[in-house]
Amino acid sequence: MATVNMMTSGFSPAMAVPQMHGMGFEGMDTEVSTGTTIMATEFDGGVIIGADSRTTTGAYIANRVTDKLTKVTDYIYCCRSGSAADTQAVADIVKYHNDFHRMEMGEQPLVKTVAHMFKQLCYDYRDQLTAGIIVAGWDKRNGGQVYSIPISGMLQKMPFCTGGSGSTYIYGFVDSQFKPKMTKEESLQFVSKAVSLAINRDGSSGGIIRLAAISKDGVERFTLTGDQLPKFYEDS
Amino acid sequence: MSSIGTGYDLSASQFSPDGRVFQVEYAQKAVENSGTAIGIRGKDGVVFGVEKLITSKLYEKGDNKRILNVDRHVGAAFAGLNADARHLVERARDEASSYRHSYGDPIPLRHLTERVAGYVHAHTLYSSVRPFGVSMILGSMEQDGPQMYLIDPSGVSWGYHGCAVGKAKQNAKTEIEKLKIKEIKGWFLGVAARPSRQPHIKVI
Amino acid sequence: MTRRDRRCVITGLLYFNTLSFKKAKNARLEQMGFKFPKAYKTGTTIAGVIYKDGVVLGADTRATEDTVVADKNCAKIHYIADNIYCCGAGTAADTEMTTQLISAQLELHRLATGRAPRVCTANRLLKQMLFRYQGYIGAALVLGGVDATGPNLYSIWPHGSTDKLPYVTMGSGSLAAMATFEDRFKPNMTREEAMKLVRDAIAAGIFNDLGSGSNVDLCVVTKDKVEYVRPHEVANAKGIKQGRYLYKRGTTAVLSSEVKKVEFDIIGTEVKSSVQPMDTQ
Repeated sequence: MATVNMMTSGFSPAMAVPQMHGMGFEGMDTEVSTGTTIMATEFDGGVIIGADSRTTTGAYIANRVTDKLTKVTDYIYCCRSGSAADTQAVADIVKYHNDFHRMEMGEQPLVKTVAHMFKQLCYDYRDQLTAGIIVAGWDKRNGGQVYSIPISGMLQKMPFCTGGSGSTYIYGFVDSQFKPKMTKEESLQFVSKAVSLAINRDGSSGGIIRLAAISKDGVERFTLTGDQLPKFYEDS
Repeated sequence: MSSIGTGYDLSASQFSPDGRVFQVEYAQKAVENSGTAIGIRGKDGVVFGVEKLITSKLYEKGDNKRILNVDRHVGAAFAGLNADARHLVERARDEASSYRHSYGDPIPLRHLTERVAGYVHAHTLYSSVRPFGVSMILGSMEQDGPQMYLIDPSGVSWGYHGCAVGKAKQNAKTEIEKLKIKEIKGWFLGVAARPSRQPHIKVI
Repeated sequence: MTRRDRRCVITGLLYFNTLSFKKAKNARLEQMGFKFPKAYKTGTTIAGVIYKDGVVLGADTRATEDTVVADKNCAKIHYIADNIYCCGAGTAADTEMTTQLISAQLELHRLATGRAPRVCTANRLLKQMLFRYQGYIGAALVLGGVDATGPNLYSIWPHGSTDKLPYVTMGSGSLAAMATFEDRFKPNMTREEAMKLVRDAIAAGIFNDLGSGSNVDLCVVTKDKVEYVRPHEVANAKGIKQGRYLYKRGTTAVLSSEVKKVEFDIIGTEVKSSVQPMDTQ
């Protein structure tokens, strides 16, 4: 659940009321989608994942404190972008299958295996799904790993990865700033800066920044609200 | 075989009064009558050896193999009925490929063994089927090193460093037990463990 | 015939009873000017908040059919279980049937497990049903209740996505209601504060959204008590007429009057028992 300061932080009075025709609330007929910025990066010993917190229906923000970093196992998370309904359903299904798989194998699953399960669903139902997912986590065999599953269900392992509508604004930044084998702290800085820049330019991304660090010690979660967001030239 | 004629050996789905399933024991007999198969797990791999009796010069060379591939990282050797074994290997191949398809990773041998053993065991439960007259040795090379398991006709499976099944299994086991099996490289073990009275063993 | 129709005829595919076929057919008929009957849509304001020891759910009571108010006092807070209630917006029939179906499933689940159902279970069943129907069940829900884990509140969208939040609104009046919440929500409110806040949120919908109107219904769910107040407030009480608009007696002048006697004969009289004897043979 969201904390107090998230709830009472500023709400712009200039928020435009969406155009309404007749009686219906037009937002209700459009799908709820996470016009989003999501991101993941490997670091020395694990992965960092990050996301904004905005969920929209048309022009309306359906949820401003969304948690798009969704747990699959104790060591593997996914970042969701696209249709909220589709990605929630896919994540639930993978979690369900994976829990059985984990019991059958008697050990924590590989990140690759979980990513493969996501890919299989996303590819098999590619005509019906709008889901861009990043799978990231840590396993005993290969350490921290990041896998990207873009919209039609391709699977690719990457040292770092961005996704969602906001990602288009930060390719230049991430390509220039990413270094392999950064420390955890450097990587957290890298991800929060990148997501923050995306939020500043992308209307469909916003709210707070949610971050998580996954390593052999498990998961550490962080949230960056209002004044904690990284500052750039135009904020000073 | 004092049990023959008592009527408790007609079905795989029936116990005898003293708690035995004769159909399964008969299947084990079928394995004991077959040519020997051995498997040895060393530090860097698994070696299989089978005794293959060539009963006619007219046979095509290399036919009716008793050592087969299951997946890119898994091999199998067996003793018992050839046709049963080929069906079982086919099943193992399907399991391995299905796992690869679902999880994008080679199947761990421990898991493959459980699946195949479950299948073998299912054939000891129903009156409409006959147990497999096969003992299968599965070996693999995995991330954490070599693995080896044996499945017998009852559906029981064990992990092994060295094992032997078939007619001369006692002789073979005695030889294998003499070796410092956990220290020596697999390839030499296979050759060294060749029982002297079994000149037909081919190390492949 | 569209390209897809032709392709299906060629391949002999059974495409005629599929949803996509009907949708395509209806779209073409609509293009040709055919008017389809519209389902009742509850252009609605529904809302809920979590407070110190429970949840408060609220709803307006207007049901509309296009621009006509179809029902001035309908109930939009549905029963799910003794400890869980659910507000519905969207297609009235869909919210009604969906909540009834899930309510029945949860009752069976309660009987099977011997435990009071959890709100997260109701949420799962609802979202999985709505996702299966890919948005064709037009139900937007606010689900709230108290279970072993404490008070819980969810918003559920027609396509099957859900949000777990301390305060939520749905329906055409959700913007007005959310504005009220964003302004005045605080954690750990008292029962009275929470009820007042939800009332005001629903009232904001009733007065500022054309699709919402009439009364405020509230439902307060706590650990071992539910208070369903219907109506909590008649927000649009009918006014009292200031004057009488009928003509007073005697307004019309009587110019003349005459009483005539009507002659008649009695032909016969008969008294019948209204009790019919039972046919015993």
